Amino acid sequence: MSEDATTAPKTGLAPKKVLGIFALAMINVAAVLSIRNFPSMAEFGWSSIGWYIIGTILFLIPLSLAGAELATMLSDKGGGVYAWCKEAFGTKGGFVAVFCEWSNNLVWFPTVLAFIASTLAFAISPALGTNAIYLFVVMMIAFWGTTAIAYFGENLSSKFQNVGVILGSIIPSVLIIGLGLYWVASGSAIVLPPFTWAQVVPTFNLSTLPFFATVILLFAGMEMAGFHALEVRNPNKDFPKAMAISAVIIFFCTVMATLAIAFVIPANELSLSAGVMQAIQYFFNALGIPGAVAPMAILITIGGVVSLAAWLIGPALGLGVVAQEGNMPPIFNRTNKYGSPVAVLFIQALIGTFVSLLYIFLPSINQAYWILSAMTVELLCIVYLLVFASLIKLRYSKPDAPRPFKIPGGIPGIWLIGGMGAFGVIFAFIVGLMPTGGSFTTGQTISYVAGILIGTFLLAVPPLIFLKLKKPSWIETGNKEG
Amino acid sequence: MNEVDNSAWAVMLILILIILLPIGWIMVVSTPEPYHIVAGEPLREALENSGITVVSAVNSKLPLPGATGGKIYTISDENGNLITIQTQSFDSAGSRDAAIKLHNAQSVGKGKPIEDLVVVGNHLIFVRPGTSGTIKKILPELQKIKGR
Repeated sequence: MSEDATTAPKTGLAPKKVLGIFALAMINVAAVLSIRNFPSMAEFGWSSIGWYIIGTILFLIPLSLAGAELATMLSDKGGGVYAWCKEAFGTKGGFVAVFCEWSNNLVWFPTVLAFIASTLAFAISPALGTNAIYLFVVMMIAFWGTTAIAYFGENLSSKFQNVGVILGSIIPSVLIIGLGLYWVASGSAIVLPPFTWAQVVPTFNLSTLPFFATVILLFAGMEMAGFHALEVRNPNKDFPKAMAISAVIIFFCTVMATLAIAFVIPANELSLSAGVMQAIQYFFNALGIPGAVAPMAILITIGGVVSLAAWLIGPALGLGVVAQEGNMPPIFNRTNKYGSPVAVLFIQALIGTFVSLLYIFLPSINQAYWILSAMTVELLCIVYLLVFASLIKLRYSKPDAPRPFKIPGGIPGIWLIGGMGAFGVIFAFIVGLMPTGGSFTTGQTISYVAGILIGTFLLAVPPLIFLKLKKPSWIETGNKEG
Repeated sequence: MNEVDNSAWAVMLILILIILLPIGWIMVVSTPEPYHIVAGEPLREALENSGITVVSAVNSKLPLPGATGGKIYTISDENGNLITIQTQSFDSAGSRDAAIKLHNAQSVGKGKPIEDLVVVGNHLIFVRPGTSGTIKKILPELQKIKGR
């Protein structure tokens, strides 16, 4: 059986073409745009603009363009980054890429789930934010609830994301921007020092270098729409437009909302010690509308759930395609009548639940948390390096393949875009190994770096084991579910 | 068929072990920060022992269960810039650890929170971006205080 012949779900039903430009754009916005980034970035004042520009040039623009070209070139193939990297580097390259995209989530899920639970607590009773039982229950409701939405297929999850991203990401962002403008227009003092271009330039030194990896991956997720290629109505036209729309929305909302917060809250008051909502509360109190804090907490919670959904569904779909091609044991190759990879979703939910359990109920694991966070970054860097390398390689190996959207500039253009992206993620990978802050002794630093490298390797290596153990029967025996 | 099923389960076990091993191992093996009462103001002491002058210190109490108060210190770094560092103490290991987890949940994108945390017994020191150079300088002093 050819590999390509199995990219459509083997449910006997062709994937429904339910996604248009708006839905595709919203998938990316859901994955990338997050209110919780704004107060943190606002701590940098005017230089947050500089950091955002670095992230945009070295990552957002290259990844958006790469995604547009690869998604339209391979629009008949499911699996997102799997299909893209497989086309360039074979099954091994594609499998490693999608597996890293999937496995980094397993480490990240507890963080975003804890954020969802602690933010919701702010709307109910902030003290709940440190109650382990409350946190775990809400985390599991969010996690398994989102998994259930994914179970019912693209139609439902796309509607959920469309509504959720507007409520939980775009409306809060626009509200913060509007209130920031009102603050300025009403003559209130901007707490930032007067603008100069010199202040936009970020400070580069050893203490800010690790932050570089965070900034680059601030826009991670722009490839998420690619996982839904088989459900797109008119991929050749819709993908490039969706990429452009989502990139503009994300950049505009992120920069403007960050500045709005920086205008109102003095940098030394912008403490995140009690959570992002502490800063949001200060923001609304300063504007004289403290009553808006609880509704805002609910909206931000929705935004967190939608972001979780985007990351939970996309890579699982990609891994489902890998399983359908017989590269994983048949147990993984089960799709339901909605076309959802139920086995992958279920296994993902089980592992995520276990990791969340450890996260919540183990005692203080500060250093472990830093290692796991760094592993998320490193695994994502592997994914994006493979994507940019695929973009460049395919221009050489398949120069004449139809590309409805083509990055302009020929070979120099592709090297410029792919090279910038690759440079950004390689640099992020290296600095991602550096401990942030100054809280690590030399011994701790060594174990920190070793922990990250070993952990990253172990979370990236299963595809190679699967391919080594691959049997022809894996293709034939999967998918018994109706 | 049974053979196929068995190998499938075996591979699935390998997958779960490979995924859970690094995550579980890191979480379980990492030594929890010991909780003990450190009297006085460890940050001020470490700053002063390192020759850094505290310009001002104001009381602050985070709205977190078990938080018993702390200070926001303003100090002058090597370039003459005024920077602030916040501390907070907690009445139990549980409340301190819960505050650590809450802090760690405030990550930026898929990365880490931009603030770092230093744990000194019952105290948490919140390290803001750009202040880690100062923290690095006083870390040996903080280690001494931790070990008391």
